[in-house]
Amino acid sequence: MTYSIISIMRQELGLVVIALLVLFFDLVVNEKNKQKVFLIALALFGLHTLAGFFPFEGGNLFGGMYSTQPVHILMKNVLNIGVFLVLLMSASWLKTPQIANKSNEFLMILLTTLSGMYFMISAGDFLMFYIGLEIASIPMAILAAYEKFKSRSEEAGIKFLLNSALSTGFLLFGLSLFYAAAGSIYFDDLTRTLSQPSPLVALALTFLLSGLAFKLSLVPFHFWTADVYEGSPMVVTSYFSVISKGAVAFVLGILLFKVFPVFEGLWQNVIYTLAVATMFLGNLFAIRQKNIKRFLAFSSIAQAGFILLGLLHTDNLGIIVIIYFVLIYILSNLAAFGVAQAVYAASGKENIEDYNGFYKTNPRLALIMMLALFSLSGIPPVAGFFSKFFLFTAAAKAGYYWLVFIAVVNTTIALYYYLLVVKAMFINPNPEPLPTIRSDKYLRSALFITVIGIFLTGILSPVFEYIQAMVDKF
Amino acid sequence: MMSITFHQAVFYFFSAIIVIFSILTVTSKRILRAATFLLFVLLGTAAFYFILNYAFMGALQITLYAGGIVVLIIFSILLTSHVGERFEPIGWGKMIASALVSLIGAGFTLYVLLNADFIPTQAPLPDASVKNIGTALLSYERNGFVLPFEVVSLLLLAAIVGAIVIARKEPHDTENPNNE
Amino acid sequence: MTSGLLITFFITAIVLVAAGILAAWLLAPSSFNKQKSQPYECGIPTKGTSWMQFNVGYYLFALLFLIFDVETVFLFPWAVVMKTIGMTAFVEILIFFVIIVLGLAYAWKKQALKWQ
Repeated sequence: MTYSIISIMRQELGLVVIALLVLFFDLVVNEKNKQKVFLIALALFGLHTLAGFFPFEGGNLFGGMYSTQPVHILMKNVLNIGVFLVLLMSASWLKTPQIANKSNEFLMILLTTLSGMYFMISAGDFLMFYIGLEIASIPMAILAAYEKFKSRSEEAGIKFLLNSALSTGFLLFGLSLFYAAAGSIYFDDLTRTLSQPSPLVALALTFLLSGLAFKLSLVPFHFWTADVYEGSPMVVTSYFSVISKGAVAFVLGILLFKVFPVFEGLWQNVIYTLAVATMFLGNLFAIRQKNIKRFLAFSSIAQAGFILLGLLHTDNLGIIVIIYFVLIYILSNLAAFGVAQAVYAASGKENIEDYNGFYKTNPRLALIMMLALFSLSGIPPVAGFFSKFFLFTAAAKAGYYWLVFIAVVNTTIALYYYLLVVKAMFINPNPEPLPTIRSDKYLRSALFITVIGIFLTGILSPVFEYIQAMVDKF
Repeated sequence: MMSITFHQAVFYFFSAIIVIFSILTVTSKRILRAATFLLFVLLGTAAFYFILNYAFMGALQITLYAGGIVVLIIFSILLTSHVGERFEPIGWGKMIASALVSLIGAGFTLYVLLNADFIPTQAPLPDASVKNIGTALLSYERNGFVLPFEVVSLLLLAAIVGAIVIARKEPHDTENPNNE
Repeated sequence: MTSGLLITFFITAIVLVAAGILAAWLLAPSSFNKQKSQPYECGIPTKGTSWMQFNVGYYLFALLFLIFDVETVFLFPWAVVMKTIGMTAFVEILIFFVIIVLGLAYAWKKQALKWQ
C-alpha cells in the first residue's frame, strides 16, 4: 500500500517535498546563504520536471479519490515546463532589495500552488478537486500582493482574493447541487448515476462552469483580470496568465470530457457562447491598452476563448489539441513576459510606447518579442500557427464551421494589435529609446528555451505524436 | 407527526435568523456592526448542524467561525484607521438593480430545486459520533478522507507563511536595513 | 413526547419574559431628560472618538491562533480513534504535524511571535 502510494503519487510527493525543503533550508541557512536556496530549488525542480517524463503506469488511490493516468502526468509535465521557465525569469526580481528577504517564501508558496493544481488535475472526486482549487488560488493572492510596498500590488491581492472567494462560492454551490442530484461526489458515481439531463443537473453545471470561468477569466467573468494582472509583480502575472490558466483549462477538459460527457448537449452551447464572447471582448479591449501587462492580460483572455474551441470536440482529439495549444501558449506568452520582465527590471517601464525604437538598442530582445507575438497571433512559421490550426481543425471536425469562421476573424483582429507592438519596436521613432539591456543569465536562458520551443514544437511532429500517444492511453 | 413539525419549526426559526442577519450584514452602514451581524449568521448555521445531530460540526462551527474568524475580522477592522466611518449610501438605482438580480437568481434556483425529483435515500442516518468521524478521517478506503486531511496541511502551511510575509514589518521599512 | 415538553418550555419562556417587559412598560411612569442619557459611574464625558487603531501584531497573533485552532479540530477526532487504528494513524498524524510544525518554526524564526 505504502509503496503503491509513493510510486503513483510520486509527482505530487516530489513537488511537496521540494516546497517543504525550500522552507526548511530558509530556516536553517544563515543570512548570507539565503540566495543559494534559489539555486537548490531551481535544480531540484529541474530534476522533478525531467523525472516527470519517465514513463510509468498510472493508477487509482484512496478508493478513487485520486487517480492519475498518462494524460494527467503529461498535463503536469506541461505545467512543470512553464513553472521552470517562470522560476528562471524570477531570479533577477527575487534579488531586488525589497524582495530578497522573502524570496524563499515566494518559491515555497509558488510551488504549493502548483501542487494544488496537481491535485486538481488528478482529483477523483469533488472534494479533492475543491481542495486542490483552493490551494491553487488562496496562496495566489499572497503572490499577487507580494510587492506590498506598492499599493497597486496590494490592490491586486485583495481584488484577486475577493473575486476568487466569490467564484469559489458559485462553484461550491454547484458541487452541493451535484451531491443533491447524485448522492455522491465521486466522479465515477456521478457518471454512473447521472445518466440523463435534468433541470437540477443543468443548474449545478451552470454554477460549476461559472466558477471555473471566473478562474479562467472568460467573458463575462473577466472583470478582475486586467487589474490583477497589472498590479501583480511581473513574474506573478506571467504565472497567473499561463500556468494557472493552463491548469484550469486542463481541469475543465477533464471534467467535461470524463465526468459529464452525457451532458454534452447542455454544456456545448454554453462553451460556444462563452468562446465567442471571450474572443471578441478580449481582442477588442486589447487594442485599447497602453500598458504592456494589461495588454497581455486581455490577449490572454482572448487566448482562453480560443482554448474553448478545443472543448467542443468531445473526443481524445479535443484533449490532445488543448494540451498542445497550452504548451505552445505557455512558451510564447512566457517569451513575451520574459522580454517585458527584462525591460521592467532594467528601466521600470511597462508602457507600450516605451518600446518605441526598441529594436535600435536591443535587437535581440525585440526579435524575441516579435517571435512571441507572432506565435501568439498564429503566423505560419512559428508554433502558434500549428496549435491554432489544430484547434480550428478540431472544432471544424465537430461541425462548428461558424465558430471557426468567428475564430479566424478574431485571429485577424489579434494580428492587428500584436503588430501594433511590433510596429512600436521596429518602426516608431523615439528620440530616447530604452538603453541596451543586459539581463542576467537565468532570464537569458529562459528566453533561449522559449525561442527554441517556439520554433521546434511547431515543426517537430514527434511533439504532437507524443501528446497523442499519451492521451490515447487515457 | 408532532416531532416533525417541531423540527420544521426550529429549522424555520433559525433560517429566519440567518436570512435576517445576512441581510443586515450586507446593508449595515457601519462595518463593525456588519461583522457583529455576521456572527449571528454563523451561529445560526451552527444551530443547523445541531438540528442535524451533527454536534461535532456544530461545535466546530462555533469555535472556528464564531470564535476565530469573526474575532479575526473584527481585529482587521480595528486595524484600519477608518473604523468609525459610515459607508456611503448606495444609490437607489444600484439598490433596485442588485435586489432585482438577486431575487430573480434566487427565484430561479428555488424553482428548479422545488421541482427537482430527488431520490429519497433508504440508508439509515449515519452516526456522526466523533469516533466515526475519526475513523473516516484516517481511512484509506472509499469514503475515507486521509488524502484531503493531509493535503489541507499544505494549505495551512502556505497560509501561515503567506500571512507572516504579508503582515510582518519589513526590515527595509525601518531605519537600519541590516537589523533583522 | 420530549418535543411536546420542549415546545411548552419554549412558549412558557417567551410568554413569561414578554409578560415581564410588558408589565414594566405599562406600570412604570416614563420620563426623559438629557441628563439621563449621559454616561454615569465614572462621570467624565468622552473626548473625541472612542475608536482606536490596533497594533498589527494582534492580527498576526489572531491569524496564527486561527490556523492552529483548525489544527486542533483535526487532532480531536484523531485522538479518539488513535488507539483502535494504531500505527497507521500515528504515521498519518505525524506527516500532518511535521508540515504544520514547519509553519510554527517559520513563525518563530521570523520573530512573528515576538511582540513589536
